[in-house]
Amino acid sequence: MKRYFTLFTLFLPLYVHAHYIPSLDEPLTISASLAATWRSDNVVGEYDYWQIPGTLMGGDAWPAEEGVQIDEMNLGLGVRIDQNLYGVLEVGIHASGDEEHSSVGLEHAYLGYACCEDTGPWVIEFGRMTAIFSPNLSAHSSDRLSSEAPLIEDVFFGRNFHDDGARFMWHSDSQITGVEIWKGDAFPATSSGGYAWDIFTRHMWQNDNLNITTGAWMYRSSAETRSDHRYGGSHQHTPVAPPGTTVSTFPDTRFTGDTDVYGFHADLAYTNDSKKWKVGVKTELMEMQMEGKLHDSVGRVVNVDAEQLGAWVQPYISWSVHTFGVRAEWLTTDNDIVGAAASQLSVDTGMANPTGHEPSRYSAIWLWQLRENLAIRTEVIEDKTLLDDQLRFAVGVVWKQALWPFNGKGHHH
Amino acid sequence: MRLNVSALSLLTFILLSGCVPESQTTIDDQGARESLYDWGLPDAIPLPREPEDNPMTEEKFQLGRHLFYDKRLSTNGSISCSSCHHQDKAFSDGVARATGATGEVHPRNSQSLVNVAWYQTLTWGNPSLGTIEKQIMLPLFGDDPVEHGLNEANSEQIMRNIQSDPVYAELFASAFPEQEEPLLGDLAWDNTIKALASFVRGLVSFDSPYDRGELTESAKRGEALFNGERLECFHCHAGYNFSDATIDRETTFSELDFHNTGLYNIDGLGAYPAPNTGRHEVTGKPEHMGQFRAQSLRNVALSAPYNHDGSVETLEDVVRNYARGGRLISSGENIGDGRISPVKDGFIVSFQITDEEVEDVVAFLESLTDTSFVTNPRFSNPWLDAP
Repeated sequence: MKRYFTLFTLFLPLYVHAHYIPSLDEPLTISASLAATWRSDNVVGEYDYWQIPGTLMGGDAWPAEEGVQIDEMNLGLGVRIDQNLYGVLEVGIHASGDEEHSSVGLEHAYLGYACCEDTGPWVIEFGRMTAIFSPNLSAHSSDRLSSEAPLIEDVFFGRNFHDDGARFMWHSDSQITGVEIWKGDAFPATSSGGYAWDIFTRHMWQNDNLNITTGAWMYRSSAETRSDHRYGGSHQHTPVAPPGTTVSTFPDTRFTGDTDVYGFHADLAYTNDSKKWKVGVKTELMEMQMEGKLHDSVGRVVNVDAEQLGAWVQPYISWSVHTFGVRAEWLTTDNDIVGAAASQLSVDTGMANPTGHEPSRYSAIWLWQLRENLAIRTEVIEDKTLLDDQLRFAVGVVWKQALWPFNGKGHHH
Repeated sequence: MRLNVSALSLLTFILLSGCVPESQTTIDDQGARESLYDWGLPDAIPLPREPEDNPMTEEKFQLGRHLFYDKRLSTNGSISCSSCHHQDKAFSDGVARATGATGEVHPRNSQSLVNVAWYQTLTWGNPSLGTIEKQIMLPLFGDDPVEHGLNEANSEQIMRNIQSDPVYAELFASAFPEQEEPLLGDLAWDNTIKALASFVRGLVSFDSPYDRGELTESAKRGEALFNGERLECFHCHAGYNFSDATIDRETTFSELDFHNTGLYNIDGLGAYPAPNTGRHEVTGKPEHMGQFRAQSLRNVALSAPYNHDGSVETLEDVVRNYARGGRLISSGENIGDGRISPVKDGFIVSFQITDEEVEDVVAFLESLTDTSFVTNPRFSNPWLDAP
């Protein structure tokens, strides 16, 4: 039991909300969260498509929009069925580009089994889950300091990673190692391309003042005729716009091939003896390698070989109920496209990058924890992901509440 | 522990600033945008394929232009290619079915010759005709029906008439400089076909109001309808050439697309009147009954009447046939309801459309008319300019 508890507390600093193991002390927990943000500007125009030059995007990587937007809303339920068995259910809504993509989605519906304390514990989970190989990929907007997902998660994983699969983990007091296998419905995979899988390992160290977590992972997937489901993928039509507004149809292009992503992450925090202030830095580095074919419905096919590297670093300082942080993000893309249709398909897919653009984004964030479950978040974002720079401001609320037990200590991990 | 923090910071700094390659996307199109011939295309239009044994040259284009307008290329000197392909009608002829040199009426409507170089297959319903060179043999030498009426008996004399014209001696020599006697012997007809194909291949039209972004408000509404869920026009009339039978140098593979639009259903099983059964004529497969290639809609407003047999007079009627989900013929020998044809294309489903919306769709189709194409002296009859 003690080791189980250790496992759960080890997860805590990493997966504040995304991965959930109900405790034996509180066999039933219900929790909710909401992050809503007002932004001063759109990343792209209302009838334009968010396509970062040199990348193949997709999934749920929707651009930030002007005005008030619900970044995320979740309702989760966890049940500890017995000493070993537990189940988790979570539904959620995420920011999306239009009404068609704004439905409530089932994000978690999985069963877990923890056992074998003498040699482990070992944990196996299966069902619909969020991947945990990258701790930041599984974090919601209400879990992050910034309201917006890291750029590399948007580009490499389409922001949200929910898929049907199985997870197998082993841990010691300071180490977690696991493997996940996925049906392949989550970007950048497709289920028709076969199973996707990942392995991850994470090391944690702490004393009275310091908490350090570092980890590394590898993700491998295949895709077959993968489209960018944000704007295309099925019926392609010209969007309906007001008279006088020029609108273009989103090119229906596909990717068939393999995508490997490697990652390294670190989370370092120092808390003073009085626990009144804390300083830390979080970072994640990813390298994506993609090899395959780009093609479209009229028979154009080219070979693509891409190597893309991205990272973000987020130093922060917390004092009392205030947290101030800065997040800097970079992405470099090195793509080779070969074939008779290379010029056209590189443009249609978004892989073209004639100016050698290197996307970057810098955010300054102030999080004011008004109450235990309610915070105000203010951000200034210099966005250089597209060719035109943009400076936008954002103010939002973050609400996280344990609904049952009301003062419970069931942890979302 | 301070060491750990410093080491990680240093690692991050190195990775992000020192060892990271600069962003770039290298493009290798393997020469897909290179040609000996100046196609004069907008940047967005990919080059068409050119046969390896007949690459485009200006000299072959000009020779072909002379041959295209030359009535000596018929059994009795009565018709030339231009007899059924008038420039002012986008190289169609304005009649339902054309008449050949011997008076035989062709069962098919004369197609316009617009951007033929980008077609995957030639003619209305033959899936095996993949090059213009092969297609040209049919009107010249075909006997069912007779068009130009050339055959083994008269072809030698006709070629002698060509050979005797000094204009051709010069044109052939320029077009085929690698040959010592391009107008004599076995190569003469082969070169004639290649030159005619070069001229037809060079009939390029991409300068309509649509291409220039100069749509009227009605045409804009029509474009939205054309690309909308309700009408579904764009599925078969797809892409820059408004036909799903389009290939170019950038396409690696392409399915053969032919469509039954529910124009006839004379037996309740979807039959079209013989001999006009389309792809079925070649394959004999029942499921290919009434299937024809989707025509490019460029300059379509100039190429009435419509459909494979010219049996539909106006674009408005074409749209209304689609709106009905197939044509109803309530009298005559071809009586039948195309809407209930079991072999019609899945996209031919009935839809509601107002008279104003029909006008808008037609306005959009009219915006595809390229007046510079139909008045371009480059495509006109060269013999009229001759002294």
